[in-house]
Amino acid sequence: MQLKSKNKTFTNISISLAAATCALAAPVTAQPSESDSWNVDAGLLIYVESDEQVQAYEGALSITKQIDDERSINVKGVIDVLTGASPNGAVAQNRAQTFTRPSGNGTYTTAAGDTPLDDTFRDTRVALSTQYQHQLSRLWLYSGGVYLSKEYDYLALSINSALARDFNNRNTTASAGFAYAYDTIEPEGGIPIAGVSVDEADNRLTDSDTKQTLDLLFGVTQVINRQALMQFNYSLSDVSGYQTDPFKILSVVDSNGWANDYVYENRPEQRSKQSLFWRTKYNLQPSGQVLDVSYRYFWDDWGITSHTIDSKWRVQLSNQHFIEPHLRYYSQQAADFYRVYLDENQPIPEYMTADYRLGELQTYTIGLKYGLPIAGNEFSVRLEYYLTQVTGDDSLAKGAGMAGVDLYPDKSAIMLQSFYRF
Amino acid sequence: MRRILLLASILSLTACSSLGVKPWERDLLAKPEMQLVENPMEIGFDDHTYFSKEGSSGGGNFAGGGCGCN
Amino acid sequence: MNLFIYNRIRSFLIAVSVVISLLFSTTIFAENKIIQAPTFVLPGIDNTEVNLEDYRGKVVLVDFWASWCTPCIRSFPWMDEMVDKYGEQGFEIIAINMDQESILATKFLQRYPNKLTIAFDPQGVVAEQYEIMGLPNSFILNRKGEIVYKHVGFRLAELDKYEAEILSLLPQD
Repeated sequence: MQLKSKNKTFTNISISLAAATCALAAPVTAQPSESDSWNVDAGLLIYVESDEQVQAYEGALSITKQIDDERSINVKGVIDVLTGASPNGAVAQNRAQTFTRPSGNGTYTTAAGDTPLDDTFRDTRVALSTQYQHQLSRLWLYSGGVYLSKEYDYLALSINSALARDFNNRNTTASAGFAYAYDTIEPEGGIPIAGVSVDEADNRLTDSDTKQTLDLLFGVTQVINRQALMQFNYSLSDVSGYQTDPFKILSVVDSNGWANDYVYENRPEQRSKQSLFWRTKYNLQPSGQVLDVSYRYFWDDWGITSHTIDSKWRVQLSNQHFIEPHLRYYSQQAADFYRVYLDENQPIPEYMTADYRLGELQTYTIGLKYGLPIAGNEFSVRLEYYLTQVTGDDSLAKGAGMAGVDLYPDKSAIMLQSFYRF
Repeated sequence: MRRILLLASILSLTACSSLGVKPWERDLLAKPEMQLVENPMEIGFDDHTYFSKEGSSGGGNFAGGGCGCN
Repeated sequence: MNLFIYNRIRSFLIAVSVVISLLFSTTIFAENKIIQAPTFVLPGIDNTEVNLEDYRGKVVLVDFWASWCTPCIRSFPWMDEMVDKYGEQGFEIIAINMDQESILATKFLQRYPNKLTIAFDPQGVVAEQYEIMGLPNSFILNRKGEIVYKHVGFRLAELDKYEAEILSLLPQD
């Protein structure tokens, strides 16, 4: 549930068009032959969080066939396995807490002072997608595809379509694309009634629910000079349907900070997101090192605004080896309905969530990628450290129940990625 | 603030027609490391991770740049 | 279908394309102004000089290419094949290299030995005169030195058409 590919669609439109533009500018390798029309990418991701939290293992295989000068087709398969525990939304207390598993099968206990983690997340997900690209004419490029993802309690289906046209002697490219996704969620134990106590007997609304997403993406890529390229994108996304996390709860605390009840969270059925994205790629001469920097400003009608700065520095070494350091910074403002916990004296709000991922946070990623040719093909390994710092009002840790408790625990993760391209 | 950013972005596009290179000056742009999507799988992994762990999504890449061949 | 029959059918199709090109050549002439190809003198391999005027009286394919352009790489074997087939009938190819980093052009030529006349135009002076729109960009000149056909890009699906165009210019009147 944690690493759900809810918005793979965005990536699909945008990546596919970009990859098409210079499928024809592959590095000068052997004589052009039949075998050049096939391209295979294999990848592995291992994601491990600290403190026995989430671990994810993901394997992907992507095969592209260049049908002729104008057309190509890609098929991609991904399997990911998730294990480990993640915060259930309840606050830490100065006493042990016991929770019922979301499925209703059994309970788990959190020690005093610890952030409650639900370890029920063991899931395997399989995703399959296909993408078709067609250079319609010298200046027009089309890309379209279909995507499907299935895990135990979640099914996602989507389609995407995009067009790009070149101007100014192919120095400017304007693109527009859309994606539509239809997701179905069928959590074990059913969809809980919002704001209702977890202990209440009849707290399940229905077995399953759905969510629809429409994404629109508009972009302009501009060649600045022989060494530099810039990209500007504007995207807009409309999500309607069930967006609550059926496994997350909030603590209801008394004036002394002791939680005497837990209720299910509730998120609005409607969300409108927008973002502005700017990216520059610069080839330093004479070294040939490439600096890639991007900035994204995101905002939605849930009150979340965020800034993302991402940068990579590619340095070619001898013998076709390379290293690429990576730095990323992300900062986010909390959603309007984000609450660390609820007060027993206040009425239950219509929308509330204690999921730290919708709270106020800053994340830092620092990583290094190393690439080298193996059997004539590119093999690379990337090791990254991902730190999330959750912030908020510390004075909320009130009374005997929460004195000295860390309401905003940081989270660290190590990510290892590996790729082989042939 | 957002409206200003959006307007600035649109206006900046009008400057685009005066920038660029001749077809034979695209040698550096044609290199694999200068492509907008050099490793689609890596971007897929990253986007997936950050979408799952943070509250924002998308923005992404698109077409353009490259060798401009054919 | 065996190779023999395949080759016969291919030759037939090429012949048909040639006839059609000849029939329609007047239309093409009418639509695209025939202009005299800009003359040039460019450095060649091993301190030689390539002067377009020396090629007057032959059918010339002037091709602009670069080592980093994948379709250009694919065009080299085909261009060699054309020189083999029609060289004796007065057909020449001048392949003008546009690499900004000359070492890349040198490495490329060592890797792919060919039968073409190579010239170098890194500053793009001649490319500018020919108003090239992309790479590869080829111009087929008739025996009078006029540009009759031009192509941006190299497409495997159009090889027979390119060959037909060359054939249509070979007959000497």
